[in-house]
Amino acid sequence: MSGAGSKRAVRDVNRRVMDQATRQRRARKALESLEQDNFHDDPHADLVMSKKALSLFQDHPEEERKAKRKSRTTEYYKQRFRKNFPQLLEEDAVQNPNPPNYLSAQTLNSLQPARHFCAVCGFSSKYVCVVCGTRYCSRRCQETHEETRCLKWTA
Amino acid sequence: MPVASVSSTFVLDNGACSLKAGYSSWSSPNVIPNSITKAKSEKRRIFIGNQIDECRDLSSLYFMLPFQKGYLTNWDYQKQIWDYMYGKQCLNVDTPSKNLVFTEPYFNFLSIQEGLSELFFEEYRFKNVFRTHPGDLTCYKNKMEHPEEPCCLVVDSGYSFTHIVPYVDGKRVRNATKRIDVGGKLLTNHLKEIISYRQLHVMDETYVMNACREDCCYVSLDFERDLTKAESRTESRDYVLPDFTNLRRGFMKSPEASNGRPEDSEQIIRMNNERFAVPEILFHPSDIGIQQMGIPETIAHVISECPEETQRWLYQNIVLTGGLAKMPGFRERILKDVRELAPNEFKVIVRLPEDPISYAWQGGAALADDPIFRELSVSKLDYQERGHQACVDKYYL
Ligand SMILES: [Zn+2]
Ligand SMILES: [Zn+2]
Repeated sequence: MSGAGSKRAVRDVNRRVMDQATRQRRARKALESLEQDNFHDDPHADLVMSKKALSLFQDHPEEERKAKRKSRTTEYYKQRFRKNFPQLLEEDAVQNPNPPNYLSAQTLNSLQPARHFCAVCGFSSKYVCVVCGTRYCSRRCQETHEETRCLKWTA
Repeated sequence: MPVASVSSTFVLDNGACSLKAGYSSWSSPNVIPNSITKAKSEKRRIFIGNQIDECRDLSSLYFMLPFQKGYLTNWDYQKQIWDYMYGKQCLNVDTPSKNLVFTEPYFNFLSIQEGLSELFFEEYRFKNVFRTHPGDLTCYKNKMEHPEEPCCLVVDSGYSFTHIVPYVDGKRVRNATKRIDVGGKLLTNHLKEIISYRQLHVMDETYVMNACREDCCYVSLDFERDLTKAESRTESRDYVLPDFTNLRRGFMKSPEASNGRPEDSEQIIRMNNERFAVPEILFHPSDIGIQQMGIPETIAHVISECPEETQRWLYQNIVLTGGLAKMPGFRERILKDVRELAPNEFKVIVRLPEDPISYAWQGGAALADDPIFRELSVSKLDYQERGHQACVDKYYL
């Protein structure tokens, strides 16, 4: 056994096996992150002006329209209709409880067997990390996994 | 007066990623990003819709999107983008003198529908408005091209999700319509995630990596075989990332030049099994832990939910629409897999329009000239008298 092997043995002592609930929570978080619009912060967040400019921007795009009647501000529309997705779903359960609706339109669970891929390299995987349940394909990918993502989950 | 009636209707296929917008008399729509963008290099302004073309440095773009999970939630963003699009800077549409054909998502929520009614009739004051779904317009266009087909199955694969929508005699079968929660956004985010873990941190580069996905990815015809083959890197390609000085959009190198070594100041990522493993999620969402049927399995399920005498016709008129339909191999793979799932005695025909992104818009443009348009639409007067209920009674949404 090389140095890396014995190092791992030492580390294994400090390592507890991740329970099922934590594994599921981690999987759900990973899926949720695939819905994100941005992974970094607003690059203009430090600019006081830009926020103001944004809400005022283009409220009155055409002079003649403004002259004829008062156009509502974007702020009005933001307040009038703003509902996030969970709120819309909750509302739909009350207003539109009978299928077909958004919830009932979700396709069924697949009947085909799940396939397993190495989380590190993407090729077919035969092995499962005993700590966290992540898949890997080889000794090399196992080491990468343990040194990167698996470590985050050990005490 | 065909000319006058043609120019009087504006068609807006309002996608979560892009607006397909233009007068019904046009041969094709303008495709405008449905987003407001901020760039780190230009702090004095924001970019609305296609204004992003004016931005020199497209790295680390920050997106403000009107849609969340495929539904309109950020009305202030949407209104700014529409104001810009109808305004003089963009298409210069005098909305009070126009009719509108508008698409919204399947199973749209009630409060969103009410909000749309209010905006169209009170804010933009269109004369007549017809609201529908991209699939309905796709079906209409398909009917023009294949009038002999009594049924049609639309596979609408866009930015937020994929819908499988059956039509019998031109009418959508609502209770058999199904959604797969995989679309272009998820594919690009997944690609970003695996490239960031395996090679280079690109989590902030949604714009760049979306282009990379479009340039490199394809749908495998035999996934297991291709995955094994990829171990010897025969389909591995180097993708040169844009630097926004000399190169505005990245590109994929030829097989011969893809040696993993960047030239001069190039920055590359190596696209190997990612090229087909990412689109594969549409066919096996369970590959990333989404416990749903993929496209072929859902097609077979949806057809099985339709009246038995319509099933043979649905299998032989499957139409692909939406941005993801452009992926190389998409049509061939669906045909192959559905052929395996369909009863032997049925023909399976899968049609890929020349431009699947604008196909629904084309249907809307054609419908605007159809005498039936007036019958299908709600007039401003109807709305003033009866409010949103006029829309509820008229539209089949
Ligand atoms: Zn591996
Ligand atoms: Zn692990």
